[in-house]
Amino acid sequence: MVKKYRNFKEVGDAVVIYSDNYINDIEGEKLEDLCASYMERGFTSIVIDFSETDLVNSIGVSILIGIIEKVRDCKARIAFSGLKRVNYDIFSIVGLTKHIEIFDTEEDAVNGRVPQEMVTS
Amino acid sequence: MKHRALFNTCPDGEFFGRVSEIDCILRRAAADNKPAPSILLFGGRWTGKTEVLRRVFHNLFWGQARVVPVYYQFKGYGTVEDFSEDYLKEVLKQYLAFRMREPRFVRDGISLDKIEKLLVDNDMYELADIAALHREARKSNDASAALKNALHAPAAITRVSGIPVYMVLDDIDLAEYQGPSGRGAAVARELISSLSSSDFSFVAAASSKRVLEGNAFGSVEAMELAGLDEELSSSMMTDLCRQYNIESDTDMLRLAAFRLDGNPMYLKSLVWAAAKSGMRLKSLKDFADLYTQELFDGNIGFALRAAMGLKSINDLRVLHACSAASAPLSDEELMERFRFSSAEMREILNSLSEAGLVEVNLGSVKWSGDATIKDFVYFIYETRVKGRSIDEVRTYLAREVLKQGFDFKGSRINLKLANEVSDTVKSFNNQKVLKVLFRNQAFNAKFKNGAYKVSADRKEDEELDLPQVVGCFDTVRLESGEAGPPILIAHGFQNGRYDSGSEVVWIVSVKDAPAPVNLGDVDNFLRRSQILRENFRAARVVRWMIGKDGFTFEAQKKIEAEGVYSSDPVQLRIIKEGLVDPDGASRLRIAEKIVPVKEFEVVLPSATKAELVAARAVEEIGTEMGFDEVAIGQIKAALVEACINGFEHSRNKAAKVFLRFVSSVDRLTIHVQNGGVDFDKPSSAAATEPDAALPRKRGWGFELMRGLMDEVRMEKVRGGAKIVLVKYLVKKGDGRNGQEV
Repeated sequence: MVKKYRNFKEVGDAVVIYSDNYINDIEGEKLEDLCASYMERGFTSIVIDFSETDLVNSIGVSILIGIIEKVRDCKARIAFSGLKRVNYDIFSIVGLTKHIEIFDTEEDAVNGRVPQEMVTS
Repeated sequence: MKHRALFNTCPDGEFFGRVSEIDCILRRAAADNKPAPSILLFGGRWTGKTEVLRRVFHNLFWGQARVVPVYYQFKGYGTVEDFSEDYLKEVLKQYLAFRMREPRFVRDGISLDKIEKLLVDNDMYELADIAALHREARKSNDASAALKNALHAPAAITRVSGIPVYMVLDDIDLAEYQGPSGRGAAVARELISSLSSSDFSFVAAASSKRVLEGNAFGSVEAMELAGLDEELSSSMMTDLCRQYNIESDTDMLRLAAFRLDGNPMYLKSLVWAAAKSGMRLKSLKDFADLYTQELFDGNIGFALRAAMGLKSINDLRVLHACSAASAPLSDEELMERFRFSSAEMREILNSLSEAGLVEVNLGSVKWSGDATIKDFVYFIYETRVKGRSIDEVRTYLAREVLKQGFDFKGSRINLKLANEVSDTVKSFNNQKVLKVLFRNQAFNAKFKNGAYKVSADRKEDEELDLPQVVGCFDTVRLESGEAGPPILIAHGFQNGRYDSGSEVVWIVSVKDAPAPVNLGDVDNFLRRSQILRENFRAARVVRWMIGKDGFTFEAQKKIEAEGVYSSDPVQLRIIKEGLVDPDGASRLRIAEKIVPVKEFEVVLPSATKAELVAARAVEEIGTEMGFDEVAIGQIKAALVEACINGFEHSRNKAAKVFLRFVSSVDRLTIHVQNGGVDFDKPSSAAATEPDAALPRKRGWGFELMRGLMDEVRMEKVRGGAKIVLVKYLVKKGDGRNGQEV
């Protein structure tokens, strides 16, 4: 069953969270809260879709690292999708691309299709 | 929980800037190599030296365990024995305070007997012996033994305890005034001998660097604490005006900050006075009224009166003469003018020198006060010596303040362009450039609307050999009283030959007014340069006119006919950029490669998501320049990081971040400057994380900038720090922008 809301979509035991246009401390913390609440509700797969995100700053990156850490601690799965080139570059510089599955589309991410190495805008 | 206060400091909300100085002293104090390098912090009265030292002490007391900090402020004492006891008491009780983590010992006055008892109770017998030795010396009236014992106590403690003492010495230049007349020199001598010990290090504050002269301190680094820079001091005033609900105008606060030399005490006093009297700081008149009121009857006047401690009307006469003189006066000249005996003169100069108002060196007496003290001296001299009424003097000073304020804006701009010209000629370095960059009329014809037009006249493609400039100065000394735009003289040698035949002088006129150079300006320049060239008969003379707003048609015609070079700011910027950049030099010799440089400035207020304004601005600029979407994304992300860093490291909440975008032929350069301290340094932890572990969470800002841009530089500027980000339009050896990450 698929339930779609403005900022997220529930697909079975997976949830797709749509991130904001700019991820800074405030937006990052919102994402963090959302992920935490879904994990509490028993969702085992979290996909963050960055299609609408133009920029992620370093504070946003640090919060995303924290989210990945928490999701892993709960033995759940996390994946990113829809990354623009610059955001892929940012995650690559900090070394995050080695630790997370990155997909072209949210559908691929939910279904866990083979992640592609490089996403271009 | 213990009350952590040590010495009195001003509230954090009223302390601005100085973070880099405090950081630097702390780094030196707790450095691994022992003894740490010593520092002399010098600066005028009320520039915040005591506040800096006390904050250093507080940080060392609570924040580390490598050194034992001891703060001592020199003040006047009746006898050398009194001074010795005071010094020794502070050293011993602060040592105890640090070892026992008991700040009360720092704050409270404790007798030497009590300190000795505490040392014994805590099994510090060898240190208790130092106190006992002092008692014995006093009993036998042996002042020099007491002095030696006290001043060498830090070295003795270091040896006994194994932890180095770090002395924080305030007003060290007053050391020579401890004890009765004539004994101060002995104190100063012994102090220098104790500080030269290699056992411990120190930071000392003084009103000038003079204390270092001729003294064998060993290795001491001098650090100047000038007034706060213009940006920081106007931010400080903005913050204070907000705190005290005073209506203010940004330009007005900037002017006040400039007029008061960025002196924190003056700036605060002015704001407090406005709050107290319910006045605003919105216009020049508001400032002039408040300033004169403060000077005559307010906190500034009161503080100056107490600090100057003028003993007689003769002190005032000498001080006034020194403050009004444009150059140092000789003591003989002063003696003759005021009919003083040499003993009287010596006494007056000692007293003024002790107050930090003049510097006396080999018979030369130099004014060392600031503009506010000068105004204060003028006020008391005119009222006390000349008998003028307070209102009369106040009116005169207010009028002067208004006039200076009026000139303020213009003079700052003049300084800016003249400095740019001076920097440009200094980077000539025997390079070659296209002549068209020095011929405004031809340049405009060729590059109308920013596009290069092919011309049949190949004269424009001729090159000009620039000299090696050895010095650049203004002509104030050579033509005092001359009207017209400032003229700079650049003296150098042509063709790499340093002989008389190759000597060349560039006479450069800089018109920085919002009006083009006109025929009158050209005539003025031709006349003045004709007179000026008499000073440089041996050299070949080249004349160059620079107009901020270009040139009128008639002016251009005459300039061409007279063989004078002419440039506008666009040409100047191309020359400057090309000369300082080794890759750019060739560009200055090929007309097709010359593209006018464009500059944009953006000031970001401290507000949520203000960095996005910068990102939007750079998107526009980048698109206009031809960067592709990927490169623009990278520049935006890097710029956002630089802005966040700038805000994070600004000293106060209201601080702004200043951005300058320079788009040139092959690159976009972005200068991001704050009014605070250093930006984050590149993290060194990157390489240490094991592959399996997630990356560290914090400290990615600088690495992101470096990864996304082609060049990232950090530059220190007065009162702040600057990040310079560079992105090349077409990367060398690469067809696309932003491909290599």
